Amino acid sequence: MKNNFEPYTFDEFFASGLQESTSPFLTEESKTWSKNLGLKSAMASVIFLAIAFIFSFSIQPLSFLFLTFVYFLAGIPALIKTFKDFRSFEINIDVLMTLAAFMAVLIGNALEGALLLVLFELSGAMEESVTFKARGALHKLNELAPTMAWVVDNDGSAYQRSVKEIPVGAKLLIKANEIVPLDGFVVEGISSVNLVHLTGESAPVTKKPQDEVPAGAKNLESAITIQVTRISADSTLNKIIQLITHAQEAKPKLQRWLDKFGKAYASTVIVLTIIFTVVLPWILSIGFWGDEGSLYRALAFMIAASPCALIIATPTAYLSSISSCAKNGILLKGGVTLDALASCKTIAFDKTGTLTTGELSISDTSHLFGDIQDTNFALSVAASLERHVIHPISAAITGYAQQKQLKQIEILDFESKAGFGLTGNIILNNQKLPVAIGLSSFIRSMLPDDLKTLLDSKMKELNLENQVIATCLIDRSVYVIRMKDTIRSKTKELISLIGKERQLTPVMLTGDHKLSAQSVAKMIGINQVFADLRPEDKLNLVASLSEKEGLAMVGDGINDAPALARATIGISLGKIGSATAVDASDVVLLNDDLFLINWLIGKSHKTLKIVKQNLFLALSVIVLATTPALLGYIPLWLAVILHEGGTVIVGINSLRLLKK
Amino acid sequence: MSDNFADHFKGKDALGHVIDARVKGRLAASESHGLEIPGHVGELLYSIKETTAILLLLWISMQTMKIPTSQILHIYIFLFFGWIVWSAGRSAFLGWLRLQRLNRLITEEKWEIEHHRDQEKQELEALYKAKGFSGKLLQDVVEVLMADDNRLLQVMLEEEMGLTLSAFEHPLKHALFSLVGVVVTFLAICGSIILLPTYGIYIAGALMVTVTIIMSSRKEKTELMSSLVWLIGIFGISIASVYFISQILNIFIFKL
Repeated sequence: MKNNFEPYTFDEFFASGLQESTSPFLTEESKTWSKNLGLKSAMASVIFLAIAFIFSFSIQPLSFLFLTFVYFLAGIPALIKTFKDFRSFEINIDVLMTLAAFMAVLIGNALEGALLLVLFELSGAMEESVTFKARGALHKLNELAPTMAWVVDNDGSAYQRSVKEIPVGAKLLIKANEIVPLDGFVVEGISSVNLVHLTGESAPVTKKPQDEVPAGAKNLESAITIQVTRISADSTLNKIIQLITHAQEAKPKLQRWLDKFGKAYASTVIVLTIIFTVVLPWILSIGFWGDEGSLYRALAFMIAASPCALIIATPTAYLSSISSCAKNGILLKGGVTLDALASCKTIAFDKTGTLTTGELSISDTSHLFGDIQDTNFALSVAASLERHVIHPISAAITGYAQQKQLKQIEILDFESKAGFGLTGNIILNNQKLPVAIGLSSFIRSMLPDDLKTLLDSKMKELNLENQVIATCLIDRSVYVIRMKDTIRSKTKELISLIGKERQLTPVMLTGDHKLSAQSVAKMIGINQVFADLRPEDKLNLVASLSEKEGLAMVGDGINDAPALARATIGISLGKIGSATAVDASDVVLLNDDLFLINWLIGKSHKTLKIVKQNLFLALSVIVLATTPALLGYIPLWLAVILHEGGTVIVGINSLRLLKK
Repeated sequence: MSDNFADHFKGKDALGHVIDARVKGRLAASESHGLEIPGHVGELLYSIKETTAILLLLWISMQTMKIPTSQILHIYIFLFFGWIVWSAGRSAFLGWLRLQRLNRLITEEKWEIEHHRDQEKQELEALYKAKGFSGKLLQDVVEVLMADDNRLLQVMLEEEMGLTLSAFEHPLKHALFSLVGVVVTFLAICGSIILLPTYGIYIAGALMVTVTIIMSSRKEKTELMSSLVWLIGIFGISIASVYFISQILNIFIFKL
């Protein structure tokens, strides 16, 4: 229980759309009263209706009393909605149902009207429950986002401020067990953070000075100070929250069409009901009132023709899929994404950071020239220099040296030239020799003129363009250490499955050198490679492939953002991907598991299949029940059962998509 | 900029604005089975709704017991005198009781300030800490408030107890409006029975309820349509309950 002096968090209340069960004015115990109120009310209506039905054979006034309760519980909310729709000149399914239920009272069939209201309320409660489940992910993320942060002042004192007012560059103190409120990088302290709520990744990750930490990460060990790199509105966490919000709002084409169609259809059914009520007595020689009367038949027609199942056929299916994807750590920008994904014939992967992890490993070390030819010794020198700094290249070299158990060499007079390289001296055979590692231009500048020319020609010979290399100097001997990206695990299986199970053609798009790209493509089984692409080339290629046959583009970095936005479907990696890439994409894989792409494509096809099944079922009920209802073969109660039964079956069919 | 401030405070100073906001908060938090709107208007509307409900329910009960309309009118006239005294008296009594409670709270709080100063200071610190003050700023705020006992008493009443000074009306004013509500309702209901003996009371009842809901809805700024349908629904279900239960009792117990 909250104590009275603890500031109240209103975020959940607003995120839930002002739901009563999250009202800040209710006590914690009272909030449970509000949970699933729609469903509770529907269940109470079912019980009252059953009692009314039982007593309709013996004690009529008691039956009517319970029917009044049913009309109160289920009818009043429906009536309010209908009046509101009338006020905005909107004739829809709710109007149709309420009209039918209350007209049933007029012709002495209050029991059938109540049955209609109860079943309509039940299907509404079920739809609400599916929607609520889909919103679950958003609530959890909102709970994650802290609203206040400790800002560290220039004099070292810390004070609390709203995260919305903290500018880029401000320093924040993140205490142990606190959630990181804004994106930033560590400036002081070392600690482990956990991204489990944000990405699904439960392993703690060590963060030290200069490492980036995203908003939403939980600081596990000791206090760290971070410098803010993005304001609240631009933070990674906020982008993800926006993405889920859009997912709930963006409706697929079919659903948009059905919404529009539903309104026109409802008006037509009402007009037809009036026409049949007036015309049937003349055509079929029947009366106006009574169980065989035209009003009774027209009402049965109206209920049978109501497009309830048709209306919920698509949104429940898409919402269930979106919810299931969220459970698997996949965020979608709405059902429209699933439609588009199912239509794609090609899937393009960015190479670096997507098919590969972006972590470097040593591929080989070459001696270019000079007296000292021992490459292992060169690697020892390189590792001894690199252990003083933090950089992906230094991590690769020191890691490799450790793995090969190369001995450390003492570096004297160590110096770091930021952005260029590292220098120092070693003692070899009682001689002090200069050593360095860094960009080839940096090493070149340290060589005499004759060796400069030699270095240029050797570099040209090795064709090192577009490769990640470090050049190492020991006295007058020069070495090149080549590095390669590490391929993600299970990538080969994924590419094979996408081709075999989903009939998609995988292609690789990269700005890297053709040879390096082809070697990676060969290893993972991609036949079509587009290499040496500048960002604009990549964008043009993505545009043409998207227009030609539908393209799903998988990327991670800020450089992929335009291509992700232009592709039929952009899929980005949320954990390592930039906030811009996340923003530009339609799908975010929160835990960077590329293998989920195959599952997602399968899900998109299954969703379309279930939508088609739902539409077929809904249309069948309408087609098969309307004419017999008009001819008097289907009584009012059966029309209600057929109509609402169809709606419930469609809802249950959609819920199958909730499975992981 | 100054225009924005003027809009925000609606022609009042910041303190006046805060008092208004508090009254609004109290209005929203008022009990659902009591007065929706605090003050004399609330008393009037409440008394109309309550009297209408009682007269309608009595009408249904007596109709099912086959009591003639003229006799029902006689009963209504007797009831009028008792009900008017009860309604106005209860309103005044509850008003005075509340005023007494509030005055007692002020006396108690004053005593606390004079005799438990340290505890009051701690309470004040906790209050302002919860509002986001900390460090030296918090200490400064507390010291300033503790410096003047009058100001401290007001702060404790408002901040700690959520009370608003100068916001309550006199109990007699409440009683008067409650009385007016009863008179208007009796006149409307009895008049409608005389003019249209069968359906008049239902039409008058529906009109009275609708008018009170429109007035409350305007005052409370709630959604008219929902309030109207819900309250008419509640009236409908209570009337139906009396009607059907009296029918059941008539069949099985009273054998009418």
